[in-house]
Amino acid sequence: MARITDETFLHQDNAALIFSPLKFRHLEVKNRLFRSNLSGMFDEYNGYGGHTRLNWEEKFARGGVGCIISSYTPVAVRGRILIRYAMIDDDDKIPFWREIGKRVHGYDCRFIMQLSHSGRQQDMGGVENMFKKAQSSTSQKDYFHGILAQAMTVTEIREVVEQFAQGARRAKEAGLDGVELHGANGYLITQFLSSGINDRTDDYGGPVENRARFVLEIVRAIRREVGPDFHLQMKINGVDHNDWLYPWKKKGNTLEDTLTICKMLLDDGKGVDAFHISSGSTFPHPRNPPGDISTRALVRWYGGMLASGVRTRFNYAIFSNPVTGRLFRWLWRWRRGKVIEGINAGYSKYLRDEISKIDPSIKFLCTGGFQHAANIAGVIRDGSCDGVSIARPLIANNDLPQILRTANGPIRQKECTYCNKCLVNDLANPLGCYEVSRYDGDTFDEKWENLIKSVMSVFQPPLFR
Amino acid sequence: MNYDPPTPAERVLRRYRWLRYVVVLLLLLLAVYYLVFVNQYVVAYRDDLDHFKYGSIGSEPSNGLPILVFKALAVMYRNELGPTGYRRFGMLYETEQSELPIGMSRRIVTGVERVWLNCSVCHVGTYRINLTDKPTFIYGAPSNNLRLYDLLKFFLKVAADPKFNADNLIAAIDSPAVGGHLNFINRLIYRYIVFPRVQQGLMQLSEQFAFLGQQNEDTGGRHYGPYYDWGPGRVDTFNPYKAIQFNFPMDAKHVTETELNGAADFPSIWEQHPRDGMNLHWDGNNSSVDERNLSAALGAGVTPVTVDIAAIKRIRAWIWDLPPPAFPIPSAIDQSEVIRGRQLFAEYCAGCHGMKDATGQYDYDTNRFSGLGQVEALDKIGTDPGRWQSYTQNFAAAQNTLYVGYPWRFSHFRKTVGYANQPLDGIWARSPYLHNGSVPTLRDLLEPVRNRPAKWYRGSDILDTGKVGYRYDGYGSALEDLFVYDTSIPGNSNGGHDGKAYGTELPPADKDALVEYMKTL
Repeated sequence: MARITDETFLHQDNAALIFSPLKFRHLEVKNRLFRSNLSGMFDEYNGYGGHTRLNWEEKFARGGVGCIISSYTPVAVRGRILIRYAMIDDDDKIPFWREIGKRVHGYDCRFIMQLSHSGRQQDMGGVENMFKKAQSSTSQKDYFHGILAQAMTVTEIREVVEQFAQGARRAKEAGLDGVELHGANGYLITQFLSSGINDRTDDYGGPVENRARFVLEIVRAIRREVGPDFHLQMKINGVDHNDWLYPWKKKGNTLEDTLTICKMLLDDGKGVDAFHISSGSTFPHPRNPPGDISTRALVRWYGGMLASGVRTRFNYAIFSNPVTGRLFRWLWRWRRGKVIEGINAGYSKYLRDEISKIDPSIKFLCTGGFQHAANIAGVIRDGSCDGVSIARPLIANNDLPQILRTANGPIRQKECTYCNKCLVNDLANPLGCYEVSRYDGDTFDEKWENLIKSVMSVFQPPLFR
Repeated sequence: MNYDPPTPAERVLRRYRWLRYVVVLLLLLLAVYYLVFVNQYVVAYRDDLDHFKYGSIGSEPSNGLPILVFKALAVMYRNELGPTGYRRFGMLYETEQSELPIGMSRRIVTGVERVWLNCSVCHVGTYRINLTDKPTFIYGAPSNNLRLYDLLKFFLKVAADPKFNADNLIAAIDSPAVGGHLNFINRLIYRYIVFPRVQQGLMQLSEQFAFLGQQNEDTGGRHYGPYYDWGPGRVDTFNPYKAIQFNFPMDAKHVTETELNGAADFPSIWEQHPRDGMNLHWDGNNSSVDERNLSAALGAGVTPVTVDIAAIKRIRAWIWDLPPPAFPIPSAIDQSEVIRGRQLFAEYCAGCHGMKDATGQYDYDTNRFSGLGQVEALDKIGTDPGRWQSYTQNFAAAQNTLYVGYPWRFSHFRKTVGYANQPLDGIWARSPYLHNGSVPTLRDLLEPVRNRPAKWYRGSDILDTGKVGYRYDGYGSALEDLFVYDTSIPGNSNGGHDGKAYGTELPPADKDALVEYMKTL
C-alpha cells in the first residue's frame, strides 16, 4: 500500500473537498473531518460524566471538526475498558450527555456516541469487576495481557444486546446526532466477529454469518429503539491481523469476511448508515493507532494494569528489559509496516467500492493517522472513503481543521509524531500530547512546562469559579 | 536536546544498572560453571539389571577416560589388541554393535563424557555348554573371562608409549572406527586439555603400579618382588588398594613375596541379605555387606569423594535377594545320586557351608550350621596363604579411616586368622574353586591335593556338566589365548581343604554323588 499523496491538486482544491459537507442518510456534517474516539479518564469513577469531559469535547468542537465521535462509552459497567470513563448504562447518565451535545452543537459540530463493550479486553475493570471474569465470545484469555474471560451464555448475549439498544435510546433522548457501534479493535463485538477469537460452536460461532449474528441482533434492537431515521454507524476492522504479537495465533478475519459482515449489517436498508474502517483485533495494535511505542512510557505507566491479567507481569518484564524492550519496539514497528497516514485506506476503498454497488447511500469513514490535507482529500477523491476520523493529530493540534483550511498540515515541529505516548499516558495521566519535541522552548524544562500547560488545559475552565 | 530524559528516580536506577547486569552475569556464569563443571550427568536406567550392567557408581570422575579416548585406544593399539579390541581382555559386549562392554558406565564430568568401570565388570560370568553356543550371561556370578591384569598392563603400556601423543590420539578419534568428528574447537580441547590430563592420569597409575610393571628391577633404589599375572577371573584385591588408596610402599623391603601375590577369584554377589553378618571377603575381614560393597567399589575406581552412594544402594537392593542361577542342564543331574549326595553333603560339608532345607530353599542359618560364615584358621584349612597375607593389620587400620566424616565410615575391617566358610548357593557357576580359584572343578576339589590338576588352562566358559566347572583342557581356545594356571607359583597353591573331614578320602562314587548334589545348590 503506497503512501497516499496526490501532488496534482492545489491545496485550495483539497480544502474545498475536505470542507464540503458530508450527507449521510439521516445526518449532515459540515465537513469531512471527524474526531475519532478518544477517551481520557476524566469522569467519575462510577461512570457519571464529569466537568472535565465537557471541556475536553468542547476543545475539538471549537477546533472545527465537523463531528465528534464520543470517547469509548460503555453500555454497562462490565463492558468498561478503563475506570473514570463516562458510561451510558442508565437513564441517569442522559443529562450529562445532553449537556455534551449542547456544548458541541454550539460550534455547529455533530456528536455521535460510540456504544462500546470491552468484552475480555478490559484493561482496568475497576473494583466493580474485580471478582468477575470478563464476558466474551470465548473462554480463552486475551493473549496480550492475559485478561481472563468467560464465554457468554445466550441469556447474557441477549442482555448485552439490550444494553446496546438502551444505550442508543439514551443517546437519542440526550439529543445526540447518532450512535456508532464499536465493532473494531478487539472489543466485544470484534471478539464475536473475529475468526481468530470466536471459538463458539453455537449459533454465534463458526461461519462468518454466525459470528455476525451478535452484532446484527444489536443493530436490529437499536433500530427497534431509535427508529429508522437515527444515524447508526459501525466501526469495523478491515482485516484483523490477529497474529501480530504471537505468530502462531490465528490471523482472524480477512477483507472478504469483513465485506460479508458489512453486507449483512445493511439489513436490506434497515441497518447501518455508515461504516468506520479501522484494523487490528487488539487494542492497542501496531496498526491502530499506527505509530511507535515508547517502552519507557510503558515502564512508567503500564504498572497500573499489573493486577488485570495473567501476562501483565511478563509483559512488564519484557518492556523493562533493555534488550527485550527494544525487540518489542522493533516488532511493533515491523508489524505496522511502512505506512502510517492512511494505513486503512486500501481496506476502506475495497469495502466502499463493493458496498456502493449495493447501496450508494452508505458512507465510509476511514481512520489512521490523517493530518495532511493532500492525504485526506486524496482518500476522499479516490473513493476510499467519504470522510476521515482523526484522533492523535487532533490531540496534538486541537485546531487542526483550521490549519488544514490554509495549509497542507501543521508546521513540521507541531506535527503529530505518532509516538503514542498519549496512549500510554492515558493509563495514569490526563490525556494529552506528551511529545516534548513538539512544544516551544529553548530548554527541556521550558518545553516540559509548556507540555504540562497544554495537557492541563483540559481542566480549564474549572467547575467552580 | 534529549526529549526523553530519565526521571531522577530512573537516573538513580540507571546508575546502578551495571550492578544488576554484573549480578545477573555472575549468576549466569555461576549457573554455567555449576552445570558444566560441578554437576555431573549420568545415563539413568529404569531397569535394575541395566543399572547393574551400565549404571555409573562414580568411578569416572577420578579414574575415567573420555569415551572417545577409550574407543580410540582400541584403534591406536589394534596391533596389540587385535580386531576385537577390549574383548581380548574378556570384556563382555552384549552384541557386536554394543558401544561399551558390560561393566563400563558413562558420566559427563566437566562437560566431557567419561567411561570407567562399575560392579558388573567383575560380577558377570558366562557359560557355554557346547563350543558353538552363544555365551549365556550369568549376572551376579564371578567373572570367568575378565583379564583385569592384562587390561591394567595395557593402560600402563599406553602411558609409557611414545606413540601415545595428541596427534595420534586425535587422528584415532577422527577415524571411522571411532567416528569422533572433532571440530576445530574440540580438537584444541582434546590436544591441550584432554590429552595431557589422560596422559598424566595414566602416568600416575604407572607410578602407583610400579610394583606391577617393574618386577625384579632396581628403580631408584627400590626393589620390587616378583609379581605374577592374576589370570582371567582373578584380581589382586588388596595390593593395588594399598598402593592407590594409601600409597603404601610396595617394594621388597616392605612387602614379602607371599604378601605381594595374593590374587583371588571374583566372588558371586547374589543372596547378600543372608550373608549380612557373616564374615565376608575370602578371609572374612568384614561382616558388613554395605562396607564390603563400598570397599569393592573403590576397586572399580570410585573414591570416597566421587562415590555415587545412591547408585550403589540401588545395586545393593538388587543383589540383596538376587537368586542364584539354577544349573543350566537339569537332565545332566543324576537324580538317583542326588539323594545320596545330599546325605554325604549334610555329613561332610553343610556344617561349614550350609545347604538346602526340605523346602528346597538354601538355609543360611548360622545357628544350625555352626561353621557357616565363620573364619577357618589357616593352619586348619591349609589353603594358599597369599591372599590371607596380602591383607595386613596395618592395612585394616588404614581401611577403617576411609569415608571419614560420613555415616558410612568403615569400622568393621579386621585381620583374621584364616579364610571364611561361604554358602555354596549357585556353586556350579562359581568355578574355579577355593579363594584363589586354584581348583578347576568341584570334582577335582574332592580329590586330595596330589590328584588335583597342577597346571591347567584357565579362562574357558565351556561348562563341564559332569565335574562341574569350566573346562581346563584348552578345548576350543586358540593356543595364544590360553592362560596356564600354574599351582606352583606364589599365591596359586591348590593345597588345603584336604583330608578326611573334607571328603577327599571318600570313594569315587561318593564324590560323584556329592558333585551331583552340588549341582542342585
